[in-house]
Amino acid sequence: MKINFPRHILYLTIFSILMIISAIWFAADALIPMGKEYRKNKMILKKERLDLQRHQDFYNETLEVYNDTKSKNRAIIEAFENRFDPQRFKAKYSRFFIDLSISKASDPAKNDWYEVYEVKTTSKIKSPVNFYDFLDALNKSKWIIGVTFPIDFRRDGELIYSSFKMQVYKKSEENNATHSEKPEAEKS
Amino acid sequence: MRYSYIRPRKKSPLTKEAILILTFFGISFFLLFSTYGFLLFKEYRFKKELQAVYDKKAELKASIHTMKNAISFIEKESALANKVHTTNSVLKDSISNLFDLVPDRITLSKAEILKNGLILYGITPNKDTYAYMLEAPLRSIFAKTHTSFYQLPNGWLKFVSTNYLDNEFEDFVNED
Repeated sequence: MKINFPRHILYLTIFSILMIISAIWFAADALIPMGKEYRKNKMILKKERLDLQRHQDFYNETLEVYNDTKSKNRAIIEAFENRFDPQRFKAKYSRFFIDLSISKASDPAKNDWYEVYEVKTTSKIKSPVNFYDFLDALNKSKWIIGVTFPIDFRRDGELIYSSFKMQVYKKSEENNATHSEKPEAEKS
Repeated sequence: MRYSYIRPRKKSPLTKEAILILTFFGISFFLLFSTYGFLLFKEYRFKKELQAVYDKKAELKASIHTMKNAISFIEKESALANKVHTTNSVLKDSISNLFDLVPDRITLSKAEILKNGLILYGITPNKDTYAYMLEAPLRSIFAKTHTSFYQLPNGWLKFVSTNYLDNEFEDFVNED
């Protein structure tokens, strides 16, 4: 029995089979792995975006805390940043005393946080009330100043001479360098 | 010599079947390559987006770190300022209490307030007045108290009272 099968149909069949094999090979070798990779990447991106959102939320919380802390302590921050000026100090606090002299301690123990000044005062009083008022006023000053020992009071007639040391606190160069980098939010 | 009465048709290799098959495979491969191109583009986009996410995360982390440092520094400054202010207030109260301690009959000429001690110079009408009215309260505050008296021409006594909170007193007396 002879099968009448045209030759071009045979060629087309062979061509079709080759095309199908090529398509299957292409799909199996490139398309399917890439599709899997695409799905995997999609999941990774989703996960990373969630993580980014968590970071963003934490950033917002931290920024809120930072702004809150900063606004609550604005006076203190400025007090530490203010450069101490002995002349302005004298002008402001001489009202508590008859005479007030201030000089930087000649050989203070080195400290990054404060500078030491020697203060000598004279007041005309019967008790050191002016000194108490002065201490109260110091706590409201534009600088952070601590009075330290030794504190001497000497009476001479109606006058009381006093001498004491003051520590004027400041932001040191080292602290400035460490904390001068401002947060992004503050920059913008 | 002619073998047929009809004229031969022109035969083309693109038969209907061939066109059908070529169209089918053409569309199929077009779809396959389009999908491949789409996936390649997506991968490129994914890499860019992922990098952007990583960059943003790194930036946020750095900002958070900077802010935390700044917060901690402000808190440190605040604690220090409060400590200084409290020390000034305590100092004021201590000095006020000290001078309140001195009775009217005793006159102080000098007071040296030290970190852990107090040296008072003054005059008293007699030792008993000093002992009852000033020494007793001083003894209740300080661990060690030592007083020296010097007779004055008018009959009063000049005194130097040295008071310390701890053992430094012993060293001080021994040095004298």
